[in-house]
This record gives sequence, structure tokens and C-alpha cells, in this order.
Amino acid sequence: MDRRFKARLEAQFGDRLSGPVRQRHDQTEIRIRPGDVVPVMTELHDNPIFRFEFLADLAGVDTGEVMQAVYHLWSDTTPDWLRVIADGLSRDDPRVPSVTFLWPGAEWMEREAYDMFGMIFEGNRDLRRIYMPPEYTSFPLRKDFTLPDDAARSPGGGFRHMEQTHIPANTPNTVRRLPGSRQLPSVK
Amino acid sequence: MSTAQRPSADDPRILLDQEAGVFEPVPPYPPRTEREAEFYTLGDGQMFLNMGPQHPSTHGVLRVVLKIDGENVVDLDPVLGYLHRGVEKLAENADYHQVISQVDPLEYVSSLFNEWGAVLSFEKLLDVEVPRRAEYIRVLSAELNRIASHALFMGWMALDLGGLTPILWSFIERDEIVEMLASLTGQRMLFNYFRIGGVNGDLNHDFMSRLGNWMSRATEQIEASQGLLNENEIFVRRMRGLGPIDTKTALRMCFTGPNLRATGVPFDIRRAHPYSVYPELDFDIPTRVEGDCLARYLLRVDEVKQSLRIIDQCLHQMPDGPVMAKLPRLLRPRPGRAYSAVESPRGQYATYVVSDGTDQPFRMRIHDPSYIHLQSVGLLMQGNLIADTMAIMASLDPIMGGVDK
Repeated sequence: MDRRFKARLEAQFGDRLSGPVRQRHDQTEIRIRPGDVVPVMTELHDNPIFRFEFLADLAGVDTGEVMQAVYHLWSDTTPDWLRVIADGLSRDDPRVPSVTFLWPGAEWMEREAYDMFGMIFEGNRDLRRIYMPPEYTSFPLRKDFTLPDDAARSPGGGFRHMEQTHIPANTPNTVRRLPGSRQLPSVK
Repeated sequence: MSTAQRPSADDPRILLDQEAGVFEPVPPYPPRTEREAEFYTLGDGQMFLNMGPQHPSTHGVLRVVLKIDGENVVDLDPVLGYLHRGVEKLAENADYHQVISQVDPLEYVSSLFNEWGAVLSFEKLLDVEVPRRAEYIRVLSAELNRIASHALFMGWMALDLGGLTPILWSFIERDEIVEMLASLTGQRMLFNYFRIGGVNGDLNHDFMSRLGNWMSRATEQIEASQGLLNENEIFVRRMRGLGPIDTKTALRMCFTGPNLRATGVPFDIRRAHPYSVYPELDFDIPTRVEGDCLARYLLRVDEVKQSLRIIDQCLHQMPDGPVMAKLPRLLRPRPGRAYSAVESPRGQYATYVVSDGTDQPFRMRIHDPSYIHLQSVGLLMQGNLIADTMAIMASLDPIMGGVDK
């Protein structure tokens, strides 16, 4: 834990932080609003007292209520990993600015987060599905997309077909319904 | 026709009766992004060439659409997802112990590093202290795994360039190591050996005698098999200056591991952000400045020598004691987040875990270096010949199991 690093972060981003700076083991965590991603990341990348030139990871997280874009950065100015959480993206329309202007290598990480969570990274030139087929409509890592195994954990949940559990509002009703499904219409 | 007589849709006889399909590289739907629209618009004299998904040099099932002008590659578009298994989703539906076996098949030639990334982040969540003997066994077995992985890389790389002998030679070394690890862990490739708080089983006599035998001749044998390529004029001339990348671009493209070190940055997680007992071990971080295919190849050769040094030190410094921390069967870490990264043979293999207080991870993100490196193939390729596609791709050493997760 690098206490002085925490003080530097608080001094630099005091009003931009949307939560306290947390430290545990070898990680320092700050929370920002999605609108502040561009200025905060640019400052962290360019300012010589931070010099975070290395984007270690970019992850999407669905907490069930909100979405988060989580960035992990490394620099030789601190022994800690820096975790930047862009918090509070709405689940209906999760939007966050892209960081590809700093790290073009983030392009595929953002594509993956889009594919798995439906998060829109504004400014990414190539935001299309990467793992799932192009005609696929669901977002598999969202919390309302449940696996059949979950039936054992939620009493009364019953067996649900995976892709049926999460269907965006504008999807045509072409998803095949499996026998045993709760929502199964009566078939002759 | 009754239902019983109708062949099922899965019946392979249906496929046999069908005519051979022509693979259209251009997708049958309108472009989804600007980049896709730009890529799938042909300029004067250009054409598309589809490579994969069953191309022998793609190291798995990767499909690449090449846009070519004569024999020069103008641009390319990798199409992924043929091996996608949804490991991150599966991990959310398994308990912490089960996750270890699920991440094994990601980078299947260096499985111990996948397990290590997972257990390291779980141990941070649970505040577990791992016994020192277990840490040394982890380092020892993982460095052996690194040598096995690099040996395979060298053979594969030569195979992609049309040389068959090196892969046969490198498989001699690799098979030796893999058999050795099998006597330690019980499996040849998907080990499932690391546990939260230690390792599954202490060093045994069979493993130690195999390791002792191999170590006494390893340096000599590895040098002999490297002479086959390092002193081969065709190989060296072909690789030199091919697919170069400079330091700044490599950092911006999020390169890690040997591919970054080949551009002159001495960034190695084992030193940059130490974990386990690496601070107690003495080894160098080889770097090169050229950043081309030859540098990426030679750097891995140097890394093998450093791994041998680490293994030697582990054997001399191995402490006595237990190999597992005392932990309950059912693990319920406090709500929180943990990030951990290990230096896998390909670069930074990282795991980000979110716990909500139950016995299953709430979210588990897996960051795989192969995935990151593969997106730069198009950048390295521009202006090169089609035949160099395989050489450049092989020099980045992607494993499709890790790319597709």
C-alpha cells in the first residue's frame, strides 16, 4: 500500500472522485463518473507525477443495479496497481467514452466489453461483436442472463433457456423456445 | 415420412450429400461500424483472401480475412469466437475451488500460469498466507512450464516457416518436461495443481529424479537444438527486420511479455510488480531493441536460460514445511475486489475478481496476453507478403484457447 500515492491522487482529482480512495494489499482504487474518464485518464497518462503509460486491463462489470467500466493501470511511480472504476453507468443505456485515443490496444478490450455487456464506448472506431455471432442479440455476462444451472440455486426459478433470460426490448421474437421452459406457450 | 425415419439435423450424412460451399469473405450483412465498412470496401486492384478457420498456421481456430494487393497484404481482419466457451460466465456459476480447473484450458500450453493468476487473486480476497514451500514449488513448476511453452513456440515458429525438424527436436524437451510435471501433478497438460493457499501434493521422488536427470543435461541439449535455428541462414535472414514494432507503439498497443521486451522495455511482472518468492531469486530480464520477429524469437531463447537459473535456485533454496495453508472447505471471502497479474510465457496474464460474500465469484475477468497481441497483427502486417503472415503471427505466439476464452 502506497499512502503517499493516495495523497497525490486526492490532491490531483479531489473534486472528480465520486468516492473515497480505497487501498488494499497492492491495489489502490479510485471511483469516477463516466463523464470524467477522458480528463482523468489523460491526466494519469500524461502527468509526470503519475506516468501511467501501461493499461493493464479493461473490464466491464454488471453489479445488477449499475454497470461499471474498470481500468487497471501500471506505472513505475508507485508499487501499486491503480484501479479506476467508472461507476454508475445505466443498465439500459450504458455509455462511457473510449480510451483508444490513449491506448489503441484497448480497442479489442472495449469490443469484448460491448459484446458481453452491451456497453457503448463512444469514440471506438470498431465497436462490433467479437466472440458472439453477428446476429446474436443478448449480452451474456449481464446479471439477468442466467445459466440453466442457476435453477438449483433459486427455488421456483425453474429451467430457463440461456438466451431467453435476457432479451433486449427491440429484439424480434425469433428466439427458439425450448421444452421445459417456464415461458413456453402451450404447443399442440 | 415418419419422424423415426427422418435423419436428424445433426446427422453427418446430410453434410456428405450437400455440395461444397464457397466461403465468402465478405459478410452477408451491412457493415456495423466505420472500420468494418472501410475494410470491406475494395480499392483498385485489391481482393479478399480468406484464411482459416482451419488453417494449419493459425495455432487453433482463427479466421483471418486478408485484403491483398497482388501479393502484398494491405489490411486484415481477424474473426474470433470459434473457441469461445464463456469461461468468465462459467466461473460466476462455480465455487472458488472449481474455477481453478475451469481456467486451465485457456492457454493450454502453459496451464499453470492460468491457475496461478486465479489462485493469486483469490488469496488476496481471502487474505491467505501461502506456506513458503508451496510458493517455491509453484515457482519451480511454473518455470518448468514456461520452458515447455517456449520450446513449443520455437518448434511451431519454424514449422510455420516450413521447417519440420525443429518441432521434432523441441518436442523431445517438451515431452520430457510434460512427463515430469505429470508425475508431480497427475496430468500432462491441464494440471489442476495449484490450490487456494498452496499446491495439491508435495514434491515426490519420481519428479525429483526426473528433474535431476534432465537438469544435468538441459543446458547442453537446449543449446544444441537452438543451434538448428540460430545458425540457420535461411531462418535468420527471413526473420530479421520482419514485422518490426517500436517501443511507443508497443506500449500503446498494450503489449506485455517477450513481445514488449523485444522492443527494449525491461517490463516483467516478476520484477515490475513482484509476487510469490521472485524477489528472493536472482535472474535477469533479457531485452532486445530491434522489435522484429527475430528479436522476439531470440528473446524467448534467452528467457529459457533464465528459467533454468530460477529452477536451479529453487532446488537449492527449497524450504521444508507444509504445502497447504489451513483453510475451510467452503470459502466465503468478504465482499471486495482483487486484481492479480502473473508473468506468463506470453505476457501479463491477469485476473480481476469481484466478491459479493458468497462462495462463488460475482464477476471474474480474465485478461489474456494472446488476445491483446493478436489485435496488432494487422498493424505489423501492413505491406508484407502473404507468406509472412504466418511468420509474424507465430512470432507473437498467440494461443487461441486464451484468445477466445
